[in-house]
Amino acid sequence: MTLFERIFGTKKRDNSANKAKARLKVMLATERADCNIPYLEDLKREILDVVKKYTKTGDVNIKTEKQNDIDMLELEISLGKN
Amino acid sequence: MGEVITITSGKGGVGKSTLSANLAVGLAESGKKVVAVDFDIGLRNLDMILGLENRIVYDVIDVMEGRCNLSQALINDKRSKNLYFLPASQTSDKTILDKDKVQKLIESLKNEFDIIILDSPAGIESGFEHSIFLADRAIIVTTPDVSAVRDADRVIGIIDAKSQKAKDGGEVLKHVVINRLKPEMVDSGSMLSVDDVLSILALPLIGIVPDDEEIITSTNEGEPIFYNKNSMAGEAYRRITKRILGEDISFMEIKPKKVGFFKRLFG
Repeated sequence: MTLFERIFGTKKRDNSANKAKARLKVMLATERADCNIPYLEDLKREILDVVKKYTKTGDVNIKTEKQNDIDMLELEISLGKN
Repeated sequence: MGEVITITSGKGGVGKSTLSANLAVGLAESGKKVVAVDFDIGLRNLDMILGLENRIVYDVIDVMEGRCNLSQALINDKRSKNLYFLPASQTSDKTILDKDKVQKLIESLKNEFDIIILDSPAGIESGFEHSIFLADRAIIVTTPDVSAVRDADRVIGIIDAKSQKAKDGGEVLKHVVINRLKPEMVDSGSMLSVDDVLSILALPLIGIVPDDEEIITSTNEGEPIFYNKNSMAGEAYRRITKRILGEDISFMEIKPKKVGFFKRLFG
């Protein structure tokens, strides 16, 4: 701290609180979506069974997301190379 | 019938037991017959904050297992005559609590006391579940940092799922206490503000407790800071107590301390 800063105080703002807030909001948006879908694991398993019945892939990815109060499920099935 | 208030947080070390102790003292000093129960099985703490550690003979598990009567295990505070304390057991077996026995104990406490304060353990495991199961209201304690707020959010999300009151169609009354606020840091933008935390947790506020070194002294001495008329944190707990009792009390203005010219110059 310079002598000037010591006398007049530092006015410099650090932004870490804003960063904390932004990180929390992103994190909690995904975590809350998970909480709201208690059947997610069962759903995943059954979808995987159906997909396996018709295709050779076992690669099913389900993501949950919350946007503007709408809960969304994103389903990605990669069928692999023919 | 008494009211059950569970103090919880998710994250450990944010001040659950300190709030439990001070709220219990405060409510007892306002004339309510209060019992504070330490539910942190294996990691007893509330006894030291209340300064009652030397008077423990039996604990909460002894009562539940029928090794003693409730009245034998209850410790009556000498300073606040309306305050009783039921200590946690020191057993390392955390799974020892049994839902039916917890229920039976709390029902009998409700018959004898106006207010039952349950100091929940950290985490979201069985100890937490037992402490929230019969709660009429929950106070979620957090500090203004990312991990405490995140854990608080998770706990808030599961309270109703674990509560008998919610199963019966009711709702557990939920409020937030923001603990250890440092106004200087909030002012300089390096700590989440009260508004920041509330906008994330979306629950009503029931108290803001400033960071106060005297808390450490009071814990050292086993004398809850509620009694300390000059302490900022003590004042915060006195106000929380009144709000719990239904009074409409303004929030304390927590401002950065003015640093004098010479202090600033010479550190």
